[in-house]
Amino acid sequence: MPSRRSRLSRARSLGLVALAALLLGGCSQIAGLYPPAAATDQGQRIRDLYDLVFAIAVVIFLFVEGLILWAVFRYRRRDRVGLPPQVHGNNTLEVVWTAVPMAIVAVLFFFSWQTLNTVDARAADPALKVDVVGFQWQWQFSYPDAGVTVIGLPDSPPELHVPAGQTVELDLKSQDVIHAFYVPSFLFKRDVVPGKVNVFDFRIDQPGTYRGQCAEFCGLGHDRMTFSVVAQTPADFAAWLAAKKATPAPSAPAGAAAGSAPPSAGSGQAASLSLSASNIAFGSASLTAPANTAFSLTFDNQDQGIPHNVDIKDASGTSVFRGDVVTGPARTSYSVPALKPGSYTFVCDVHPNMSGTLTVQ
Amino acid sequence: MATTVLRPATTTYRTGLYEWLTTTDHKKIGILYVLNSFLFFLLAGLLALGVRTELARPGIQFFDEKLYNQLFTMHGTVMIFLFIIPMLAGFGNYVVPLMIGAADMAFPRINALSFWMLPLGGLLLFSGFLTGGAAAEGWTSYSPLAQAKYAGMGTDLWLVGLTLIGTSSILGAVNFLVTIFKLRAPGMTLFRMPILVWTVLVTSVLVLMATPVFTSALIMLFIDRNYGGHFFDPATGGNAILWQNVFWFYSHPAVYVMILPAMGIISEVLPVFSRKPLFGYRAFVFATSAIGALGFSVWAHHMFTTGSVFLPFFSLMTFLIAVPTGVKMFNWIATLWGGHIRLASPMLFAIGFLTMFLIGGINGAFSAAVPVDFALHDTYWVVAHIHYVLFGGSVFGVFAGIYYWFPKMTGRFLDERLAKVHFVLMFVGMNLTFFPMHLLGLAGMPRRIADYSPAAGWSELNLLATIGGFTIAASMLPFIWNVLVSLRSGVEAGDDPWEGNTLEWATSSPPPPYNFDHLPEIRSERPLFDQRHGLLGSGH
Repeated sequence: MPSRRSRLSRARSLGLVALAALLLGGCSQIAGLYPPAAATDQGQRIRDLYDLVFAIAVVIFLFVEGLILWAVFRYRRRDRVGLPPQVHGNNTLEVVWTAVPMAIVAVLFFFSWQTLNTVDARAADPALKVDVVGFQWQWQFSYPDAGVTVIGLPDSPPELHVPAGQTVELDLKSQDVIHAFYVPSFLFKRDVVPGKVNVFDFRIDQPGTYRGQCAEFCGLGHDRMTFSVVAQTPADFAAWLAAKKATPAPSAPAGAAAGSAPPSAGSGQAASLSLSASNIAFGSASLTAPANTAFSLTFDNQDQGIPHNVDIKDASGTSVFRGDVVTGPARTSYSVPALKPGSYTFVCDVHPNMSGTLTVQ
Repeated sequence: MATTVLRPATTTYRTGLYEWLTTTDHKKIGILYVLNSFLFFLLAGLLALGVRTELARPGIQFFDEKLYNQLFTMHGTVMIFLFIIPMLAGFGNYVVPLMIGAADMAFPRINALSFWMLPLGGLLLFSGFLTGGAAAEGWTSYSPLAQAKYAGMGTDLWLVGLTLIGTSSILGAVNFLVTIFKLRAPGMTLFRMPILVWTVLVTSVLVLMATPVFTSALIMLFIDRNYGGHFFDPATGGNAILWQNVFWFYSHPAVYVMILPAMGIISEVLPVFSRKPLFGYRAFVFATSAIGALGFSVWAHHMFTTGSVFLPFFSLMTFLIAVPTGVKMFNWIATLWGGHIRLASPMLFAIGFLTMFLIGGINGAFSAAVPVDFALHDTYWVVAHIHYVLFGGSVFGVFAGIYYWFPKMTGRFLDERLAKVHFVLMFVGMNLTFFPMHLLGLAGMPRRIADYSPAAGWSELNLLATIGGFTIAASMLPFIWNVLVSLRSGVEAGDDPWEGNTLEWATSSPPPPYNFDHLPEIRSERPLFDQRHGLLGSGH
């Protein structure tokens, strides 16, 4: 009897080991259990560390989960006769299962510290520096050496162009709330904190486009704070930068018909309106403009470092005029084409919660 | 034989509403805590269903961002502050005086006060929905997003509500500590206390040290918003990261406040249903204390990506805290090992705790490796982690406790068949909901977004999680039905239905006011076991 029983339990434990090996192999094959392929050098180091942590985690998971299930099924008893041996503890076992996890976490800490030092290392002279400003609710990328600025709107996210194969430094700044610059393929994110500048380096080896978005909850438009990183060959990047420099920036997105109608035909002097924006709100909730005549709209953005614009939409929500985005404090004058009588809404494209009504009569 | 004579039983539990509103009896207050917390559990669960419904498919279908942000903010806040923490405090209230052979808590009136602050605080939190929008900055309420410039009046209600709830917690902690240190029955030395009492003791120390910091931070933010305090707003010379430091200095220990008593509950259930003592009682006590102590040195691991943290220190401490947690896991397994295991409903949920909390422990270790956290922080991976800890851990622990002590509280058993349906639905539902979130996080889905692009490739996993969410909701139906039916016509349980180890099973079910006519002799952490089998049988 005992020999048969021990053979049975040996077969069972062999089966268990085989099952564990199978699961182990299975887990390492499922792509979804891993982060995406790393686009950057730094991301590749993080990926290597992830693979190590993941392998150890899977082994521990299968071992401990196996022990729990084994204990439950092996020692399940429906009859409740007698008492099992009353074991109160075992000091050797306690020492073992304190020391072994201690050793495992020491190893993990050592490797993650080493990886941290490479990932956080900064180049003395990066090939390119870009200022990244996160604002509610989009991004602005500035190339200070070239004098080029790219600014995003919720429906037209910006592209951060960088040269492939070269080290790029990002200086992260915020004027309002906390955001986080996150590109999943970098396996990396860094918070964009008002009141301080966070800096990190990265190097992308192959040209390609990588999507990114804000990872730190920042209010209403958080889910729309997307952008992409476009890595180009250095020659293509230089060409892109030169082309950008040639066109005045920042410009309204394509499709916004700014001033498509000819200036007012009739009345000699055009009407003039004014509107201000401060603390992420328009100064007035309603404006009145004359019908069928072009007018000028003086827009005063008083928010330090925060971009706003004025977008006039008709009752159906179609944009009839979209002003350029200006970063405060700044004042601009929009020339609004002649509008038919009716009720319109005006909003800030950057901050969809800023709105008011425009009555044209 | 040391026999303690206390005031004899007088009245029964069939008392009116007035009695429930004015009671200072720790058992009634405990039941009030449990009922109140369960109500908020259902409400916060509905909010989570709202979140899951909106995320089922890409696009904005049911809730716009404005409402969506309120849904997840209130879901997190209510689950943590009005469900898990007070639910466990409720068990503590009901069970701790019974377990240490006391007649009541040390300060019965303060006990009633700390309970009644909870529904009031909850009312304030929810009243935001009627005054132009509840708080919508996430349960972490980071500054400057929570400043008056960006957040409406719902945030003020949130701050005032949480200040009340925090004060209630602090009062409760003082009450527990005095009760445990001063009111133990003769013979009940510290190292003969049931493990649940130990976990409540350590939890109370955590609350006493951390919650006042949090309450101060809440008041500072309130001053910032309403009286120009400039503590946390960099636009006016404050510091945004300061809020995160004080917030997490409380909120990380708060995670242990939410898990230690649940660990205590299953440390009572596992020995009873294995018919063995808890393996390594002293190691367990030391591990609990170690978790409590280390818990104060890991708060900044929530802030690895801020660029304002000394990373190696907090990484090391975070790795270290896995060790005492691992010790507990092995002690639990060793308790099962060689036992006579009976899979009654409390045991099912306790084993559910073991299998799921294990995942919550392991996926947390990923974030201790700082560079890996750079990838995972603020993604759905973190949402998966916290739910494997707080749902897989705390919620399974809570239900183990409900099935275990329901016969003590009411004198009747809950139905075992309905309990199994409840368990299976909840277990399957939670894994369907939260496991896909690991994959979503790895694929780069940030938390707290109302919408995502159909091109992102996250649609199927989100749909799966939503189906899981509704499965969890469905699991509540057999449970609620079970409670309602069993209260009327459940099988009578008697004083000691499970062959328990601890003193609460030495009195009637439900226990009379002031709990005990007389107490058995206390010579170990299992006085009832000793009484049943003699000291020889218990292996001393």
